[in-house]
Amino acid sequence: MMNSVTRKAGIGAVTAFGVILIATNAGIVFAQGGLPEGFKKGELAAEPSAEMIEAGKRVYFTKCVWCHGVDGAGDGPGADRLWPRPRNFNQGTFKIRHTASGELPLFDAKKPVAGQNDLFETVTHGLPGSAMPPWEGILSEEQRLQVLSFVTTQLVKDRKFTDKQSETQTILQLAELKPKAASEESKKRGAELIVEKKCVECHGMEGRGDGNAFNLKDDWGFSIQPANWHKCWNFRGSRQDPYNVANIFRTFSTGVNGTPMPSFADNTSVDERWDIANFVNSLCERDAEGKPLPIDPLSDKPKINFVIPSDPVEGDIPADIEHEAWQKAPKRYVAMGGQITHKPRNFVNRIDDIWVRSLYNDKHIVYLLEWDDRTKSVAEGKLPWAPTQVNIDIKEQEPKTGEEGSIAANQNKYEVYNDAIAIETAVKWKELPSPIKPRYLFGTNEQFPVDIVKWEADGSVRAFLGTGWDKDFVERDTYEENLKVLKGEWKNGRWYVMIQRPVGNKKDQDYDEDTFFEVGQYIPTVFFAWDGHNGDAGRKMAVSAFYYTFMNPPIPQETYIYPVVIAFGVVLLEGWILTRRANRKKGKTL
Amino acid sequence: MKALMSLGALVGVLGLLLLGGMIFDVVPSNTVRLVEGYMPMQMLIEVGCYVAGFAGLSYMLSAMGMPMPRFWQGIGFWLFFMLYLKFRVYPPIPFSVRAMYGTVSMVAVFMWISASEEDWKKFKQPIMNVLDAQTGMNKMMRYLYLVLIPILVGGFSYNAMVPKSEEPVELRTVHPAPPASTKVHGKTYVLQTSQSPYRVNPEGKYDQEYSNANIVEQGMGRLMKPNANPWDDKNQGYLKYVKEGGEIFFQNCHFCHGDNLNGRGLHAFAFNPIPANFTDPGTIAQLQETFIFWRVSKGGIGLPNEGFPWASVMPPWEQHLTVDEIWKVILFEYWHTGYYPRTWD
Repeated sequence: MMNSVTRKAGIGAVTAFGVILIATNAGIVFAQGGLPEGFKKGELAAEPSAEMIEAGKRVYFTKCVWCHGVDGAGDGPGADRLWPRPRNFNQGTFKIRHTASGELPLFDAKKPVAGQNDLFETVTHGLPGSAMPPWEGILSEEQRLQVLSFVTTQLVKDRKFTDKQSETQTILQLAELKPKAASEESKKRGAELIVEKKCVECHGMEGRGDGNAFNLKDDWGFSIQPANWHKCWNFRGSRQDPYNVANIFRTFSTGVNGTPMPSFADNTSVDERWDIANFVNSLCERDAEGKPLPIDPLSDKPKINFVIPSDPVEGDIPADIEHEAWQKAPKRYVAMGGQITHKPRNFVNRIDDIWVRSLYNDKHIVYLLEWDDRTKSVAEGKLPWAPTQVNIDIKEQEPKTGEEGSIAANQNKYEVYNDAIAIETAVKWKELPSPIKPRYLFGTNEQFPVDIVKWEADGSVRAFLGTGWDKDFVERDTYEENLKVLKGEWKNGRWYVMIQRPVGNKKDQDYDEDTFFEVGQYIPTVFFAWDGHNGDAGRKMAVSAFYYTFMNPPIPQETYIYPVVIAFGVVLLEGWILTRRANRKKGKTL
Repeated sequence: MKALMSLGALVGVLGLLLLGGMIFDVVPSNTVRLVEGYMPMQMLIEVGCYVAGFAGLSYMLSAMGMPMPRFWQGIGFWLFFMLYLKFRVYPPIPFSVRAMYGTVSMVAVFMWISASEEDWKKFKQPIMNVLDAQTGMNKMMRYLYLVLIPILVGGFSYNAMVPKSEEPVELRTVHPAPPASTKVHGKTYVLQTSQSPYRVNPEGKYDQEYSNANIVEQGMGRLMKPNANPWDDKNQGYLKYVKEGGEIFFQNCHFCHGDNLNGRGLHAFAFNPIPANFTDPGTIAQLQETFIFWRVSKGGIGLPNEGFPWASVMPPWEQHLTVDEIWKVILFEYWHTGYYPRTWD
């Protein structure tokens, strides 16, 4: 009861906000007596043919109905376990457009042209960061147009794409607006503008989407989070081209319908918009040389390197991230997925990647883990289950609950637990069959367990042993004194955590429970992450695949000697061939 | 003959331009896509085109009075093939496999250039010329090679010896041999004799022909047959269960295996290897329905010992689903991909 009241209040507030927004926008448009800069009036497209619509129905009921539902209300069988929830088409509210705030998106069943057909591009490229995949290569161009013909005419119920009385098209002329060079000056101006235009209020001081993250709702009353500008590959409107500044310019100019993100077309000039877009684009993660990260075409996320190199340092390992050794240490992107194999399952993981660096000396190895988390969470409540437990007998999120009970509706209502991160390494990895990897994420069996080091936001660091896929973790009280947290700081939507552990040796430590880190070897390593505000605790967490920690050895002397010897051998061989050839020729001529 | 050769040259040059354009980003790199499942055939056809192209080109060049030496033809083609493997094929093939293909293609090139004594001589000639160093040019080249080869070999061996942290290559058994029977929810299922209880006609009888007639059509998009919509309320039998299976799939499986069953789900990018792609003819299409039943019920952990490195976090779904739900979800997977399960006979 309480819930539904607050929800209604939320919807009311959003609606009121929207009304005010539209009213002020309209006021400005009239005051200027024209259109916002960069926009032009356009014509509504013609209605698609009946054949297209009929053919589209067949596509819809094969591919789309499973999430978007029979009536297009975004309530298919898959919907209740997704966040963001699938789009409800009925209202005709679409996020990614070239049209002015509040207007219908561009769609023309006869014109599959980039920049002139928003819905076609959405289906083609998908909406990264949501469950909507790119359909290019799966559905033909014709089929994509057909299904959109069906959706726009049959499932959009409250508005009509061809109704000249009620609908207008004011189109952003993106093709004609030349992007401004991303000079230092332009980016600096952008950085000032995002404060002036209050972007930082929602998107946070560093643009990690951590401002006001828990009070935002979309038109349907579901909580929604501001975009994290550092992960441009998750931008819904990135169109499989995440580092393209034009996408940001477009979203900023047109706003995102159905969400609190307004259009800034009326109160910024085109020039200012390019400055902002340039600045926002410059925040997206880049490699050490400042170049865009290579994107994997199979996943539309940064390419993954499964080896985490650890560089040697002399003496103590610095705890300061700005230290030269850390600045030089290679940084690896580690992709995270929800733990959906054991109860409690995590269908919606809010942490989808972490960045890992590592250094070692003769005694210790240190991992520097950085990840974006919109909220700092320190436990308020008692854990509902022991953090070590697996396969606990709990009532899970029912798959079919309707909007009220869906995951999307219940975001931000979880009891808050600790944010946490853990590094899992295999024990006795040298004895695992080739290629070395434990049999399962949580260890093979008692003979081949895994060693887990977990840090929590309350500052504690603990050690566990994992002995199998369905076994509870065993807490290792005696090992904790060997662990040290060099850093544990949350700043503007990002955690910076440095965990130190012994590299170990067979002499002083327990061979059956500790991982030994050997230089120049591949040590299977997994990462776990918890977001306390997502109700993450115990096995409700985000997991990575198996990576390898590789401690870079100093270069051995043989590396310099052998090549010289080999090259000398080649010289001798050459001499021999030439002499032989010469002799043979002599023999012939003689 | 001439027309044929010119056509070959045209095809080859166009293909080369397109390939070069895609590699150097002149045209979008997905202009010609390698389509999953058809990739080997596609590659064979492409390479075939290039062979025709090269043959045509060299024919035309010699017709125009500028014949290309056999020596460079052989080396050129081999180099081209290696570059093709490196830059065209995605996901990238590991170096060791490329090296194998490289050796095989080198043998092929040698067979081609040594097909007749005359050809072989022609091929050898440039090498002999440099060795003999009769002209000034050749003399210079000889000294150049004398210095360059040791340096290069030394450099390569240094490169090979410097410690590197490349990902170890993992070869894995994709479809390990199944057990004879499997016990799920307390009941034993003999894989050879068990049948899906939901592959039934409207009268409720097991009917493979009926279900095969109602799966989605092969071909672009893999769409359902116009008169076989699982969302039709009047459905009885097979199609009704397909819909129920689809509901289970989209509540449990699509997170990894994807909305289009191609292994590109929401969480898929985090895993290595990425989850199984059911639209690939190499997965469910070549397996029996009971094999899938066993794999789904027992998950990655249920793989036999010889199935290492067991790179699978697939849970034993018997923990989360009932036997009926597992059969239905399998029914849906075959329906949606348009494949028939393999039968035992």
